Amino acid sequence: MDLLGFARGPALKVALAIFCLGVAWRIAGFALLRIRRDLNKPRASPPRFLTEGLIAVGTRSWPHPEFIARTGAGEALGYSYHLGLFALVLLFGPHIAFLGSLFGISWPGLPSSLITVISVLTLALFLAVLFRRVTNPVMRMLSNFDDYFSWFITMLVLVTGLAATAHIGAPYQTLLALHILSFDVLLVWFPFGKLMHAFYIFPSRAINGALLARKGATS
Amino acid sequence: MSRLSEIPIRIEPPPALGGLGGGVTAILSELISLLERLTNSQESAAIDLRSLPMNVDDLAELRRALGEGEVRATLDAEGISAIRETKVPGVWWVEHRDRHGELMAELIEVTRMPQILMTASEEIATGARLLREQIALRSVARRPLTV
Amino acid sequence: MPHSDAEVTVGEMLRRHGISRRGFIKFCTAAASAMALPPAMGVAMADQLAHALRPSVLYLSFQECTGCLESLTRSFAPTIENLIFNVISLDYDDTLMAAAGEAAESARTKAMQDNFGKYVLIVDGSVPTGAGGAYCTAGGHSAVETLREAAKGAAAIVCVGTCSAFGGIPFADPNPTGAWPVTAIVGDKPIINVSGCPPIPEVITGTLLQFVTTGKVPELDEHLRPKVFFGNTIHDRCYRRPFYDEGKFAKSFDDEGARNGWCLYELGCKGPTTYNACATVKWNGGTSFPIESGHGCLGCSEPGFWDKGSFYAAQSTALWGKAGESSPREVLELTASAVAAGAVIGVASAGVSRLRQHRSEQNADERESNGDN
Repeated sequence: MDLLGFARGPALKVALAIFCLGVAWRIAGFALLRIRRDLNKPRASPPRFLTEGLIAVGTRSWPHPEFIARTGAGEALGYSYHLGLFALVLLFGPHIAFLGSLFGISWPGLPSSLITVISVLTLALFLAVLFRRVTNPVMRMLSNFDDYFSWFITMLVLVTGLAATAHIGAPYQTLLALHILSFDVLLVWFPFGKLMHAFYIFPSRAINGALLARKGATS
Repeated sequence: MSRLSEIPIRIEPPPALGGLGGGVTAILSELISLLERLTNSQESAAIDLRSLPMNVDDLAELRRALGEGEVRATLDAEGISAIRETKVPGVWWVEHRDRHGELMAELIEVTRMPQILMTASEEIATGARLLREQIALRSVARRPLTV
Repeated sequence: MPHSDAEVTVGEMLRRHGISRRGFIKFCTAAASAMALPPAMGVAMADQLAHALRPSVLYLSFQECTGCLESLTRSFAPTIENLIFNVISLDYDDTLMAAAGEAAESARTKAMQDNFGKYVLIVDGSVPTGAGGAYCTAGGHSAVETLREAAKGAAAIVCVGTCSAFGGIPFADPNPTGAWPVTAIVGDKPIINVSGCPPIPEVITGTLLQFVTTGKVPELDEHLRPKVFFGNTIHDRCYRRPFYDEGKFAKSFDDEGARNGWCLYELGCKGPTTYNACATVKWNGGTSFPIESGHGCLGCSEPGFWDKGSFYAAQSTALWGKAGESSPREVLELTASAVAAGAVIGVASAGVSRLRQHRSEQNADERESNGDN
């Protein structure tokens, strides 16, 4: 079996299985966390918790005006590359074919040239993000292996993907195999690092909003 | 499954195959350098037109650019070949066809004369021998019959 | 079938057949063009060949469909007739030769004896080793035996077709006959793989002509294929490449995109990973090639192409299971069972954690109440 067959075949299967297992494990753990029983009288009715929770997901997605000066740039950078990643993952022909082969569904995509532009911009943003993490003293102090490795593995998928589409650096077969293999590694790493924020942020913000609503506060 | 006639068709002009219009100019530039080489070092050269990604229009444009010269030679060996000097002296357009008229090769040669037209030295000796045999036959034919 | 005439040069054979020097130059120019060699090589080739001796060539067919020989006989440049009568001395080919049975076999053994160490061995078809080699026998000898015997006196071996080069269709899963490519059976002779299912006619004859002219094995890639023909992928030379670059893909056969000649990547074209000359030399004397006729490349000149998944699944798709492409149902089963397993582990670990927390709280309470006392 050649490298490409391995990457698309057994490696992908195992990676997908580990991904699902890991995500389910961590979500179960998260859902079963003990919350200290609040003995206070609730300041709002349960339906309001829900709505407040959902509103919190929105309001906590952007810093309060007082903090924008300090964190606005970082937030904007983050959102930009996330949008870039979603666009190129979900709207590029071969990716749609890949996901379609797994789930049996299909949807229209964007022209490849536009995707290339988006990919290059996303790559630049990724480098900017690393630069910020390394030069900002607070961020540097807070950063750990999880931060750097999560950045690295996502970056590797992006770079190998660009190289494969542009056919530079190695024969196409090898580049495509490396791209899919690095995606397999990403899948395996996903449940065990900070990439789990993809599943955590919305419940986390919603729960915080709900708890605050119970206490009669809004955020 | 829709019927063939129900599938909508839109005819789009084919895309310009990435900068190939400039291909003719590139070939002409290369011919200039080959002609210079011919002048300086007497070295002949050839461009295989099949090795270049040219479409029908590019080929026609190249033909127009080079034009037709004074010399037109037809070679009849395993099919007909057309060897023409273009309006550009030293630039020859060579088309080789096989017995079925299929195009076997198409070249542009930069040379004083394409080598295929020249008679080979070893064949000249054969030519002399053929003529001697001819003369021998003629003298036999003219000898009066002795009764 | 002309008998082996070791002392006759190619030039002499041409003269005997009334082919003039100029006719031969034309033939060599066309062959050089077909092989993408510089035109000057045509004249040089004519010169060299004219003084070269016609090598003896033996063509052995094993586990094959005869498609490769059919392809060879359709070559335009050089034509098979040209090749057989002028350039090589084809001393054995059980499909083409007039003789049969004992007469044919004795012609073969005589040619092998007379030209020991100098003949070119062409092989098509894979070699089965199962059941002691019984799956392919001719004249009472298995293919393995015949190949090993013939290889001993060969100057070089040219494997024509994916079957002899890489095992081909008999070698595909589950390979019931124990088929192997020639390289697995013979290890001590120069081997040239001219792969393809079948290979392009001019690629076969061009490779033979190049070997006969130069007497040397041409530059080969890591799969022992001549780089002059197998150096680029179909994708690198495909005329539909601008559509690939623009992201214009045909979604199904005969849809609007397909009718406009858009890229066939999503219809399973293996062009990007297949090395062959189809996009430049093309088929039927330069008429067309699969993609130009609207069907994606099968990747037929690559090893194991029968086992690389569906011909109609894009190269970026998931590929597991023997059948090739994965079905959404399989994927659902896999993910569902993995999620279930993960949930179980998660609940179990949460349970253990809670138990520990409960116990430590109990201990803390006990210590507090003991401390009070």
